[in-house]
Amino acid sequence: MKKIGIVGTGFMGTTHAAGWAATPAQISGFLAKPQQEASTLAKQYNAKNYPDLDAMLSDVDVVDICSPTHLHHEMILRTVAAGKDIICEKPLARTTKQAYEIVKACREADVKLLVAHVVRFFPEYALAQAEVANGKIGKPAVIRLHRGSYRPKKPAGNWFLDEEKSGGILMDLMIHDYDYARWIAGDVETVFAKNVSRQHPDAPVDYGLVILGHRSGAISHIAGSWAYPPPTFRTHLEIAGDRGLIEFDSEDTAPIQNLTLKSGGADAPDVGLPASPVSESPYTIQIKEFYAALVDGKTARITPEDGLAAVQIAEAAIQSAQTNQPVYLTPLDGGLK
Amino acid sequence: MKIGILSFAHHHGEAYISNLRNMDGVELLGVADDDTTRGERLAHQHEARYFPSYEALLEAKPDGVIICTENNKHLPLAEMAASQGINILCEKPIATKLADAKSIVDTCDKAGVLLMTAFPMRFSAPLLEIKKRLDNGDFGDVYCFNGTNQGELPTVYRDWFADPELAGGGAIMDHTVHLVDIMRWFLEAEVETVYARSNHIFHADEVDVETGALEMLTFDNGVFASIDASWSRPPYWPTWGGLTFEMVTQRGVVVMDAFRQNINIYSHDVKRANWAYWGSDINHAMVKEFVDAIRENRPPKVTGIDGLRAVEATLAAYESLRSKKSVRVKAS
Repeated sequence: MKKIGIVGTGFMGTTHAAGWAATPAQISGFLAKPQQEASTLAKQYNAKNYPDLDAMLSDVDVVDICSPTHLHHEMILRTVAAGKDIICEKPLARTTKQAYEIVKACREADVKLLVAHVVRFFPEYALAQAEVANGKIGKPAVIRLHRGSYRPKKPAGNWFLDEEKSGGILMDLMIHDYDYARWIAGDVETVFAKNVSRQHPDAPVDYGLVILGHRSGAISHIAGSWAYPPPTFRTHLEIAGDRGLIEFDSEDTAPIQNLTLKSGGADAPDVGLPASPVSESPYTIQIKEFYAALVDGKTARITPEDGLAAVQIAEAAIQSAQTNQPVYLTPLDGGLK
Repeated sequence: MKIGILSFAHHHGEAYISNLRNMDGVELLGVADDDTTRGERLAHQHEARYFPSYEALLEAKPDGVIICTENNKHLPLAEMAASQGINILCEKPIATKLADAKSIVDTCDKAGVLLMTAFPMRFSAPLLEIKKRLDNGDFGDVYCFNGTNQGELPTVYRDWFADPELAGGGAIMDHTVHLVDIMRWFLEAEVETVYARSNHIFHADEVDVETGALEMLTFDNGVFASIDASWSRPPYWPTWGGLTFEMVTQRGVVVMDAFRQNINIYSHDVKRANWAYWGSDINHAMVKEFVDAIRENRPPKVTGIDGLRAVEATLAAYESLRSKKSVRVKAS
């Protein structure tokens, strides 16, 4: 039985904990700056509230990192040094250089690294990928991915909105779809991006538009919105190939429309979430697959290199938005300069 | 008021016949076509008078003509009509080359004839509603557009739509101008830079032009916009394609689907889903504006300059494909 330590107890740490509870793994404890959050979760799962990372590392087999993005690099390197396996919430790191160092360190130390790009585990996205892989629509040519919600809220110190920490919308939100586009159409060669907060720093909303050129010749259009009214969360995908077209829209396929009368203003969660009920949460499906990879050495559907490649695209998007020019990506198999 | 149609190279020519016939005080003078077989056949089919040449039609003194030739053949007809003082509604894009587009505008200017570009989206009821609210300040500042103008392979209507010479390109030439014009109209700003990526994966064996295309534009007021111009709708899609955008503003997002007003039909006849449009006829409203502008002796709501500016942005997209950079639009 694997002993799991969860770092970060915000929305993602809480969600991962629920996932681990559905596996034979044991949640040993939590580590977080907001002590209240950590001790509430510790109580709920009958687990510890660790004072620091070293205490956690000496006690667990696996560290599940759900802390703010800019902290991933340092925490992962310390976990690797302790020889513990790692689950890491997306983005794998804040910069390509950091992500590369992480992947390299894990490889050299023979430590498992599983990056939680949960979109690959959403049934609609997984099904579309499987149909493309089965050749149902031929060769993908133009891919459109759209993910829209409102600006993430946080009780205090909103790191999501601090571009230095989160990478902003072009990284934090849209990395989901860079990864998915790569899963569908392969490695990316060029990135061109714009976003509202770069052009209009005082705007009350943010919205990103990114054009990816894949080495396969396919092109992808990625849109990310933090401009919708809470509690909106909607996604759209369209994969057009030379032998057909797949599309999905979360609004059009929502099995339930809630038109009941609300008393007062509807409460919205900190981070907008998809809400199409399924028997098992995609987050739980993900954690179960990661658990199998840890215990039985089964291959997960996402590799450390995938996590690195997604960060590289996100970083290029931020750079392109600054320069109004495309960014050409260095192939990562040859290592980084 | 007599209006003539020059050429059926563009299939819209047929739609304009019924538009003109349903308009008070307007007479469809007739049609001419340099493809005699096509011209005679369609004239007969629509019970319209057929003129054996463009010259013959123009000699019959129409008040205006609608030019529906291939994209690269607009200029000579515009020159011919303008020289006889005849007003012009020209299919889009008004030309495939900057010099031709400029020449059409200048020729009409000098001749003092009215030149209107066939941008029917200016007359779309959903777009007019948004424009009204935009001008009313309901949305505050506009930040960006995420636009699509996707379609099926247009060779289903006419082969020349995918001919590099006659059409001037593929999906980019076909589908960039509508959204560019809508955004120029909404923003009252000009396109400053264009970045484009294209490919040739859909219908690779059937046509020799780009069929997939994504573009990113910036305007001189700081607004940016993406356009998906792809011919990405399969031939069994429930309709020809569509035009959509998300407009991101200070007050949130407006999601617009210009051709959403459909009924869904599932029939034994076609054995696939079919969307039948019941929204207002944009072509009718556009042709009516042409007629009204002639009648009232005033500039039309969409001009030759609008056609020229849209061509400039489109050609910048091709320039970006060549240079692999974001390029500045060459304003003439």
